[in-house]
Amino acid sequence: MSEMDVIEKQPVTLRVNGNVHELEIAPARTLLDVLRSELRLTGAKRSCNQGVCGACSVLRDGKPVRACISLAFAAEDSEITTIEGLADGNRLSRVQQAFVDAGAVQCGFCMPAMVIAATALLNENPNPGVEEIRHGLGGNICRCSGYVKVVDAILSLTEGSKS
Amino acid sequence: MRYLAPGSLKEALDILRREDDARCIAGGATLVAMMNADLVAVDVLVGLGRIAELSGITETDDEVRIGAMTRHAEIAASPVLTGALGVVRSAAGQIAHPAVRNMGTIGGSICHADPAADFPAALLAADATIEAASAEGTRQIPIGEFFEDYFETALREGEIVTAIRLPRGPAGARGHHVKFSRVDGDYATVSVSAVLVMAGATCSYARIALGSSGPVPIRVTAAEEALVGSPLDQAAIAEAARLLAEAADPVDDVRGTTEYRLMLIPRLLARALNTLKDGETASV
Repeated sequence: MSEMDVIEKQPVTLRVNGNVHELEIAPARTLLDVLRSELRLTGAKRSCNQGVCGACSVLRDGKPVRACISLAFAAEDSEITTIEGLADGNRLSRVQQAFVDAGAVQCGFCMPAMVIAATALLNENPNPGVEEIRHGLGGNICRCSGYVKVVDAILSLTEGSKS
Repeated sequence: MRYLAPGSLKEALDILRREDDARCIAGGATLVAMMNADLVAVDVLVGLGRIAELSGITETDDEVRIGAMTRHAEIAASPVLTGALGVVRSAAGQIAHPAVRNMGTIGGSICHADPAADFPAALLAADATIEAASAEGTRQIPIGEFFEDYFETALREGEIVTAIRLPRGPAGARGHHVKFSRVDGDYATVSVSAVLVMAGATCSYARIALGSSGPVPIRVTAAEEALVGSPLDQAAIAEAARLLAEAADPVDDVRGTTEYRLMLIPRLLARALNTLKDGETASV
């Protein structure tokens, strides 16, 4: 878009991590862009911007979606949860803690979305096996290729691991 | 750009009639990616997410009706899509990854008409009818006439796909979709959608469609005739695959060469038919 274009803004209401935000934004803006630039929630990452790499994943009504290919306007009727909404103050969610305990984090860029995907997977299926975990996180790419400890972290939260 | 979010189909159709350069947006999975890549510019975007009548799966004795705004994840989990319609359910469950299946819709997918997508071939195998509405009324488009070329459909200006109608198919039919992808969640290098009826050890009905094998999904009546009356032995499958491959015109691209894709056709056909012959329920 050239600087000569007039950018028309429209009002939008977003519900994110339990807070209601009334914003005026250009309708072509993605949910990811608005989360990061307007709401300063920078946990969801912009990487491919094509919905392929998964780094932008957030929860929409509890289910993972790609924020980079969601329009902010299309999220108006939903409850959005970002990585910032998972911890209770300084107390990490059990999934976040499991990732820390397993040493699953390498460079960290893909981690917020990995935790989001893992949280959604465990909400739907509290005791996934290795294959189910791999499929559940199949859409989250780690450029460090550090998948083993991510799977370990999620497995540590399942019934089988507690025996 | 303006964004409009009509609450009813009638309101949406009025917008399309009134506005010169309006485009509908369903789940956004494809259109927003194209906007991000500057491949498409839109003046007026019509969000269909608030139109309740476009969403959900309903059934009658004769058919199952999938609202155009129904998401892949819901279709993949639908207990209604059994028998022949297992082909549509199994295709839905193999599209991309969980986060994309929570976004993408069946109407959005078929209107984009990417021949590498999973639904086009699955809907051809299921003998679907596409219901489209405009300010002038509603019309029914047989699936064989819906896809016209790469990314081109029979949809006219001002029309919205409202539903995909699936006939139950013959008694005892089972459907399954198989795809080969380079990595989990990628578009199919080649896909095969199949609906079969077995009478004892003999095939009594077959409807087969190829995906990612040309500009539109491919169906060859002679290939189906080669299967019907056979025990689905190697010879019959090889002959059907030969006829299908003859009609295929796959691209040569990053997902595979033309030659490689043609080699996949007999293998995937055999995989789909053996799964159905052995009576396994079509699962993902």
